[in-house]
Amino acid sequence: MATAAQEMDRPRKGRSNIQRSETLAGLAFISPWFIGFLIFTAGPMVISLALSVSDYDVIHPPQFSGLANYQQLLTDPRIGLSLGNSFYYALLHVPLSIIMALVLAMILHRVGKAAGFFRTAFYLPTITPAVAVGTLFLWLLNPRVGLVNKGLALFGIVGPGWTTDPTWIKPGIILMSLWSVGGTVILLLAALQGVPEQLYEAANIDGASGWTQFTKITVPLISGTLFFVLIVNTIGSLQIFTEVYTMYFGKQQSGAASSSGLFYNIYLFRQAFEFLHMGYASAMAWLLFVIILILTAIQLRVSRRWVYYEGS
Amino acid sequence: MQFSKWLKPVAVASTAALALLVFAAPGMAQDATPEATSDMGMMMMEAPAPNTDLSGELNFMGFGLGDEIATTRVDYAQAQLPNVTLHFSEGGFDAQQFLTAFASGNPPDIVYISQQTLGTYAANDTFMPLDQCIADQDIDMSQYRDVAVNQVTINGSVYGIPEFYNSLMLIINTKALDDAGLTLDDVDTSDWNHLAELNQQLTVGNGNSLTRMGFDAKLPEFLPLWVRANGGQMLSDDGKTAMLNSPEVVQALEFAVSIYDEQGGFAAMKAFRDTWDFFGSNNQVPADQIGFWPMEQWYMNVLAGVSPDAPVAFKPFTDKDGNPISYVTGSAWAIPVGSKNPEAACAFAKAMTSVNAWVAAAEARAEKRAADGSINTGVFTGNRLADEAIFGGGIVAPIDNQAFQQGVDVILSLQDHGFAMPANPAGTEFQQIWQDAVNRVLNGEQTAQESLDQAQQEAQTALDAAWGQSS
Amino acid sequence: MSVMPSQLARERQPSRRDSIQWGKVIRRALFIALLILFTIIFMVPFLWLLSASLKVRADVFNNTWIPDPIAWENYVNVWQVTPMLTWFKNSVLVGILAAAAVTISSAAVAFGFSYFKFRGRDFLFGIVLATMMLPGVVTMIPVYLIWNALGQVNTFTPLWAMNLFGSAFYIFLIRQFYLTLPRELFEAARVDGANYFRMWWNIALPLTRTALIVVFVFEFKASWTDLLKPLIYLQNSALYTLPRGLKAVLDQFGQGGEMQWEIVLAASVIVTVPMIIIFFFGQRYFMEGIATTGLKG
Repeated sequence: MATAAQEMDRPRKGRSNIQRSETLAGLAFISPWFIGFLIFTAGPMVISLALSVSDYDVIHPPQFSGLANYQQLLTDPRIGLSLGNSFYYALLHVPLSIIMALVLAMILHRVGKAAGFFRTAFYLPTITPAVAVGTLFLWLLNPRVGLVNKGLALFGIVGPGWTTDPTWIKPGIILMSLWSVGGTVILLLAALQGVPEQLYEAANIDGASGWTQFTKITVPLISGTLFFVLIVNTIGSLQIFTEVYTMYFGKQQSGAASSSGLFYNIYLFRQAFEFLHMGYASAMAWLLFVIILILTAIQLRVSRRWVYYEGS
Repeated sequence: MQFSKWLKPVAVASTAALALLVFAAPGMAQDATPEATSDMGMMMMEAPAPNTDLSGELNFMGFGLGDEIATTRVDYAQAQLPNVTLHFSEGGFDAQQFLTAFASGNPPDIVYISQQTLGTYAANDTFMPLDQCIADQDIDMSQYRDVAVNQVTINGSVYGIPEFYNSLMLIINTKALDDAGLTLDDVDTSDWNHLAELNQQLTVGNGNSLTRMGFDAKLPEFLPLWVRANGGQMLSDDGKTAMLNSPEVVQALEFAVSIYDEQGGFAAMKAFRDTWDFFGSNNQVPADQIGFWPMEQWYMNVLAGVSPDAPVAFKPFTDKDGNPISYVTGSAWAIPVGSKNPEAACAFAKAMTSVNAWVAAAEARAEKRAADGSINTGVFTGNRLADEAIFGGGIVAPIDNQAFQQGVDVILSLQDHGFAMPANPAGTEFQQIWQDAVNRVLNGEQTAQESLDQAQQEAQTALDAAWGQSS
Repeated sequence: MSVMPSQLARERQPSRRDSIQWGKVIRRALFIALLILFTIIFMVPFLWLLSASLKVRADVFNNTWIPDPIAWENYVNVWQVTPMLTWFKNSVLVGILAAAAVTISSAAVAFGFSYFKFRGRDFLFGIVLATMMLPGVVTMIPVYLIWNALGQVNTFTPLWAMNLFGSAFYIFLIRQFYLTLPRELFEAARVDGANYFRMWWNIALPLTRTALIVVFVFEFKASWTDLLKPLIYLQNSALYTLPRGLKAVLDQFGQGGEMQWEIVLAASVIVTVPMIIIFFFGQRYFMEGIATTGLKG
C-alpha cells in the first residue's frame, strides 16, 4: 500500500493536489479493513500456508513435510469425488436459486397489502434452525411418505429415492436449498425497489411487452445486485456444509449419501477435525481457495459485458 | 444414552410429574452443589471418607448434567471431593471445540468421550496415560469389564476410566413369528442359511411395497458383529494391521447385504425404515413393521417406556458356533495432557464410576420409575461389581412384564460375552473407511470384494500413519 | 349524425373496459394464487417446527399438523431446564454489537473503494473479494490463537470485535449501492466545500440507508444463528448465546442424548421467534428507507 501511495506522490501539474488528497482520504477510509486484514486474515493465512506443507495433528508441533500434502491431493480419489459433488451442486443451485429468488422478489415487489407478512414468510426458512430443517426435510423428501413424492404421485409420477438413492441425493439437497433463498430475495427486492417507476410508465406508453420491459429495463438496472448475488452464491455453494452435514453426516449417518453427498467442505472438515490431519486439510482449503479465486476472476471479467452501473 | 424421563402423555401435565422433572434436572447452568445430595446413601455400601486434600477447580468438556443417572452420581462425586469446584460445560464432546482449546494450551481438566474416539486422542498424546492416577487413587481396575478396559488401553497403558457400557441383543416381534407359524426357538442367528430363510418367511411385501422387514442386518454400523459371528476380525488385536479384505469379512458383508437384497434392496428398505415411529408408541414393533433385528440394549428402555404391551421378546445374538456375542460400545473419562488439576480429575473419575455412585443412580432411577408407574429396566454399567449390586441387591425389582424381565436377564447374561474394536490411534478414520466400504456395496457401486480391497488399502495407510505419529 | 360516433364510442368504451378488467382480474387471481402457494411452501418448515414443538414426546414425528393433545408444558420445561433467558440476553447483546460494528465500518471502507480513485485501489479491492472466498477453516486456529494471546477467550469479544474492521461481503454489497449514486451529487457538495468525511456521512450514508439496514439485519441474523464461534470461544455456559445453548440442549435431549425431541424443538422455536419479529419490523424500514432516499425518482 505504501508503494501505491508513493507512486501517487509523483508530482504532477494541475490536478495533483486533488489526486493526492483523494488518495490519502481513500486510504483513510479503507484503513479499518486493511488493519483487520493484516491481523485476522493475512497473518493467519501465512500460518495456514505453512501448515499446508507440514504434518500437523493440532497436538504435536507441525513438522515440515514439503509438498507431500499437495501430492496426496492428486492421488486421493475422494478429492475428485467431493470436488465433483460440490461443482454439481453449484452448477445447479446457483442458477436455480437466482431464478427462484428473482421470481419471488418480483412477486413481493408487486404485493401491496401485508407486504411485510409475505416478505417475512419467504425469509422464514433461512432463520429456522438447521436442526429442525434437516429433520423435516428427511421427512418431506422421504421416498415413501414424503410430501414431495406424494405431490408427484398426484400427477402419476413415481417419485425417486431423494434420501436413499445415491443418484438422487444431490438433486434432493438442491431442492432443499431452494427453500433458503430468502437472503437473495431481499437483496433483489431492494434492487427492484430502486428501479425508477417512470421507466416502466414510459415503456408502457411505447407499447413494450412485459418480457421486453423485464429484459431491457429490470435486468440491466438490477444487474449490479444480480452480479453480487451470483458471485456470493457461487462462493457459498462451493462451500456448502451445515445443512448436508446435519442431514446425512452428523449423528444420524445415512449410508446412501456417503459418496454422493460427500461435498468438499464435509470431507475437509472430516480430515481436519475427525481424522486430525490439519496439514492436509490446510492444503485442501488452499486448493479450494485457488479454484474459487479463478472462478471469480472469470466472473468478474465476463461481468464487464453485462453489468451496468449508473454512476460510472 | 439414557432414556430416563419417559413422561406419560397426559400425566406429564400434572404438577407432580413436573416437579419431579425439575428436581431431576436442577438447572443446567448451575454447578453441582453438595447440598443436593438428597436421600442418597439409603442403600449404599459403606462410603469412603471424603477426600478433603484435593481442592481447586475442575473444568469439564463433553458432559452435561441431565437425567438422574448423571446428577445423582455427580452429587456423590462432589460429596467425595467437597473442596473441589466443578464447572460443567453443557453439550456433548465436540472435536472442534476440544482441539482449538487444546492447541492454544487451554484444555479442559477432564473429558467425557466415547471409547472409540478416545483411542485417536490417546495415541496422539492428547490424553494422559492414567497409570499414575490409578496407582495414586488406588483404583481397582478389575471392577471394570475387561472389554471396556481393553478399549481404553493403548500400547499397554490405560487412558480412560470406563463409564457406560452398551451391549447388543436381538429384539423380536412375536406377532410376526405367530403369523408365520414360528416360535421363539426358531429365532436363531447361528445358521446363516436358516437366518436367510427366516428373513424370507417374516418379510411382507417387497421393495417399494415392503410393509414388514423380516430381519434387519443393521448395516453399515454392525458389520463388526457379522464378521465376529463369522469367526473373523477387521483389525488385529494390537490395532496395527487392518484385515478388511480377509475372506471372513468379505463373506460376512456379502451375507448381510443379501438380507436387504432379498427384501428388494437397501434403498427401498431404508425408505421404509425412515418412516418408522422409532421413539413413539406406534414404533415398528407394535406397528408390526419388522420381524427381528440386533439392537443396542438402550432401545429396550425405549420400548419399556413407550410400548410396554407390544408383542416383544429378547434373545442373544449368536455366532456360527451358537455362542452368544455382543458388540460393545461405551464411554469413558479421560484427562487431557495439560489438565490443571489431574489429581482431582482422577479422583472424580474414580468416584463417578464407583459402585456407590452407580447404586445411588440406580436407586434414583428406580424411585422415579416407581413414581410415574413405568417399567424400570435398571442401569447397565461398565462396572461389573456395580451391575451385581444393582441387579443382585433388590434395587431393580423383578418386572411383572415377563418380556422385559427376560430382556434384563439376556443383557446380564451377555455382559461378559462382549467384544469391541481393538483400540487404535486411527479410530475415527478407520471406522469411516470401513463404513464407507459397506455403503459402496449397499449402494451398488462396488462388489464386496472390490470395496473391501480398497478399504483395506486406505485403512492400512491410515493406521501406519497414525501409529507412526504416536510412537 | 354527430351524436352517433359519440354514442358508439360510449357503447364501445364500457365493453372495452370490461374486457380489460377481466384480463386484470384473471391476472390478479393468478398472481394471488401464486403468492399464496409460495407463502405456504416457504412457511412449511417453520409450521412443522411449531406443530412438533407442541406435541407430546410419542407424537413428535407422527407427521400430523395439528398436535393432539397440545403439550404447552414443553415450553414450561425448556425454561425450567435451561437458562434460556440468560442466553437470550447474551445473543441480543452480541448481535447488536456485531451488526452495528460491521455496518459502520463496512460502509466507510466501501466508500473508500467506490468514490476515490487511487493507484492500487482495484488491486486492494481484489484482495477484499479474495478474502470472501477464503474457506473459514483456513484461518480458524490461527485466529483462535490470537484471541487466546489477547486473553479474550471465554469473553464476548471474539464474537463481534472482528466486525470493527469491516467484512468483505458487506463492503462489496454497500459498494454496489454506492456505484449507483451519480458522481455529480458529490461534485456539487465538494464545490460547496464539504470535506470527504462529510460527503460520506451527509450524502452517501443517507442515500444508501436501505443497504445499511439490509446489512444490519443480515449481520444480526448471522450473529443470531452462528454456532461455530460461540462453540469455540465460550466455555462458561452463563456466556452462551442461543445457538450454543441450543446445541447443548440438543446434545442433552436430542440425538444420542435422552431423545426428548419435544424439548429440542420447543427450544428451536424460542430461538427462531425473536428473529422473525426483528425481521418483520426490520423489513418495513427497507421500504421506508427507499421511499425517503428518493432513489425512486
